[in-house]
Amino acid sequence: MTASSPDTSQPIDFAALLPDGRGLEVAVAADGLTEITADRSRLIEVLRALHDHPELDCDLLLDICGVDYPDREHRFEVVYHLTSVAKNHRFRVRVPVGEDDSRVPTAFGIWKAADWFEREAWDLMGIRFDGHPNLRRILTHEAFQGHALRKDYDPEKRWVLTEAETFVPEWAGEDHGGDGEFESQVINIGPSHPATHGTLRIVARLDGELITRAECEIGYLHRCFEKMSETHGWPEVIPYTDRLNYCSSMINGVGYALGVEKMLGIEAPPRAQVVRVILSEFSRLMDHAVCLGATLVDVGALTNFWYFFQPREEIYSLLESCAGGRLTVSYARIGGLAHEVPTDFEEQVRYLLGRIPKFIDDVDRLVTTNRIFRGRTEGIGALSAEEAIGWGWTGPCLRACGVPYDLRRVNPYLGYEDYEFDIPIATTGDSYGRYLVRLEEMRQSLRIIEQAIDNLPDGPVITDNHRVALPPKSRVYSEMESLIWHFKLIYEGIKVPEGACYSATEGANGELGYYLVSDGTGKPYRIKVRPPCFAIFQAYPHMLEGHLVPDAIAILSSLNIIAGELDR
Amino acid sequence: MRQPDGSSALLTTRLDAMLAWARKNSLWPLPFGTACCAIEFMSTVSSHYDLARFGAEVVRFSPRQSDMMIVAGTITDKMAPVVKRIYDQMAEPKYVISMGACACTGGFYRAYHVVQGVDEFIPVDVYVPGCPPTPEALMEGILKLQELIQSGETQYDRLKS
Amino acid sequence: MRPVTTINVDRPQKGFGEWIYLGPILKGLGVTLRHFLRNLFGHRDVATIQYPEEKRDYSERMRGRHILTVREDGSLRCVACYMCETACPADCISIVAEEDPEATVEWEKRAVTFEIDLLRCVFCGFCVDACPKQALIMSRQHEMTFTTRTDAVVGIDELRQKGAIEDQDLGYRPYY
Repeated sequence: MTASSPDTSQPIDFAALLPDGRGLEVAVAADGLTEITADRSRLIEVLRALHDHPELDCDLLLDICGVDYPDREHRFEVVYHLTSVAKNHRFRVRVPVGEDDSRVPTAFGIWKAADWFEREAWDLMGIRFDGHPNLRRILTHEAFQGHALRKDYDPEKRWVLTEAETFVPEWAGEDHGGDGEFESQVINIGPSHPATHGTLRIVARLDGELITRAECEIGYLHRCFEKMSETHGWPEVIPYTDRLNYCSSMINGVGYALGVEKMLGIEAPPRAQVVRVILSEFSRLMDHAVCLGATLVDVGALTNFWYFFQPREEIYSLLESCAGGRLTVSYARIGGLAHEVPTDFEEQVRYLLGRIPKFIDDVDRLVTTNRIFRGRTEGIGALSAEEAIGWGWTGPCLRACGVPYDLRRVNPYLGYEDYEFDIPIATTGDSYGRYLVRLEEMRQSLRIIEQAIDNLPDGPVITDNHRVALPPKSRVYSEMESLIWHFKLIYEGIKVPEGACYSATEGANGELGYYLVSDGTGKPYRIKVRPPCFAIFQAYPHMLEGHLVPDAIAILSSLNIIAGELDR
Repeated sequence: MRQPDGSSALLTTRLDAMLAWARKNSLWPLPFGTACCAIEFMSTVSSHYDLARFGAEVVRFSPRQSDMMIVAGTITDKMAPVVKRIYDQMAEPKYVISMGACACTGGFYRAYHVVQGVDEFIPVDVYVPGCPPTPEALMEGILKLQELIQSGETQYDRLKS
Repeated sequence: MRPVTTINVDRPQKGFGEWIYLGPILKGLGVTLRHFLRNLFGHRDVATIQYPEEKRDYSERMRGRHILTVREDGSLRCVACYMCETACPADCISIVAEEDPEATVEWEKRAVTFEIDLLRCVFCGFCVDACPKQALIMSRQHEMTFTTRTDAVVGIDELRQKGAIEDQDLGYRPYY
């Protein structure tokens, strides 16, 4: 399966592919996606056509979310984002749904990836999906009442959960129907567990040590990012984005800033673009270092954890000298970067480029050919490419299944089309493949950084459009006009024009998408984050069947589930 | 053992001081890490800062085998019963360090699913601010806890007396 | 648009040498022994910083505890314009303003109370970016601990700049 660059010479005549145009409106949206506004009765037909038709071939379901418009006749809008790995075109399908009858047929029969996305839309927005196998709350707890992202829900209204109300699945009481001689046992792996990297709960039914059925529960770190973004201005969301995927916080901020810049129609200056690339690639490297370090700890190899944390500390020094914070940098701003890089930036970057390969090589030498490690990870948690795409996988996990889908190549942004780098793929799709892909990606990141630092242009690091970015302090202290722009920006915020935009970047785990909806005021109307680990983790309970408990741990750590991104 | 006039005997104060010295120098942490602060905790135990120099060598995720719970990261309403249960399972004497803005007060998440400070349901000895606190700040927090243990002013001592 | 170039990182097991496991054992032991011996004798580039005796040198942009700067006559520069309170994502700053009896042409108000809840603060630096008078800057002091929540709400007395500006441990601030 190959991914190719989009062929924009011939726009797809979608209306012709579905002859009956009742209840459908097709248009090209402002952000470049083909947008189809469909009636609820035609939804499944449209989604089927998008999936099955050979010219459309939308095999990757990216996101399903709901948006609340209390002033409209149809209060809710269910929004689907789809793409095709091979053809590389993107679609958005919007379905208006009224408040009294807020139900929509499920897309689970077409894409397995719809599973958890629809549960989230039910939990946070209250839209029912008919035919969904397991429509329960996913991010909030059982005792929660109401639907939190509706506009009439008070952001600070909490519900207390007592221990008696924690969820146990119905099948927990059944026997797995084996030979009847031994009982099956149901255990909890997590949520407080050294190997669950945060807060995940896996309820597993065991036959000895073999897992016969599993179900996952998430939401233990649901920090209400999307509701918080509705109560703060556009620039103030940036510290919140840092805490999404906290291992590589720069990438989230840059992705958000790119989305807002797309809506505003401005571009960051070239120097800011290159510095964003350098710091994003360092963040990607850091994230892979933590993932591999944690994988190796879970398998029993502790030394590599220390070896990987040393380059992390050295990159922290670089980030701290640029931005002031080690882990949560808040360095990106809408229109560029917060401030100029320090004068010894190039020196620090070159020093790191010389130091980091040694640590990667050390771990490579210790682990890659090690027979114990291979025995623990080879063949464990293998998925085929079709299955992975059906579940909505992107990123290194998908590349380990043999699909060379990387947004930096297929939909380049920030000037990635000018850099030379390779995309590592493996064909096995197991944990060992994911380890190898991440290790090689670290080396490719270093390659990109070297090319970027060799060609760092001069110039400003933030746009001079003062409707968007704060004026420089030297002018604020001396000129009246700059002072007025400063006051207006802080008090009124950035006035992003009305509209919606989906902007995706390649995060460390896969496609990190932001669906931004603006109503023209200084605060976001709705921000939906498409987290890469959400789609990856929903396949996990199905991957577990037939594996042993220690294998479950080895698979979990190789998927790199970051709870901040998963639960938002 | 208290004397008739309320003060402690010489032997037991010496014993208390020795016990406090032993306890403060072998605090085994239970890192209840949920979010970004857990990554900074991992940095603190890594070779660059090395928490093991203060006696916190054995980082066990089991409440039965640890003295000090470091709540690192945001605690949500869904996670709160779990924290309470783990805290109850710890053997006494036990101490709690609340690391980071989210664990101390809820941070900037004034939201519908976030506990506004873990001291809503467990007693906290030391609050370490920061988002996330630097490893030095966390070590300063542990040093402060050691001081409190030596002087007998932790929450555990208050509940005991 | 560059074509997609891939590297296949599959690594099938190569022969008897890897299967027997003796080779990888010795290679691995070599790596760890090299680090061990180098730390024990030789270079002494041990990575550990012996806190609290040694401290890491943070940059001049480190976002730590806040400082309220003063003018030459000792009064606070803060004119209670509420920019920092508005810009703060955590709503941890609370200001009460009053008319300044010593006002000149350049300002009218001053702050009666200026409190920052250090346990709510996420140290993002937006308040420093928002201040139009360079009245609020950040130092590099990041080692703070408190034993109660009320201790952490600091007011003007704790935040005020103590001593000359050059002697402060300056961190994140507008000019570099």
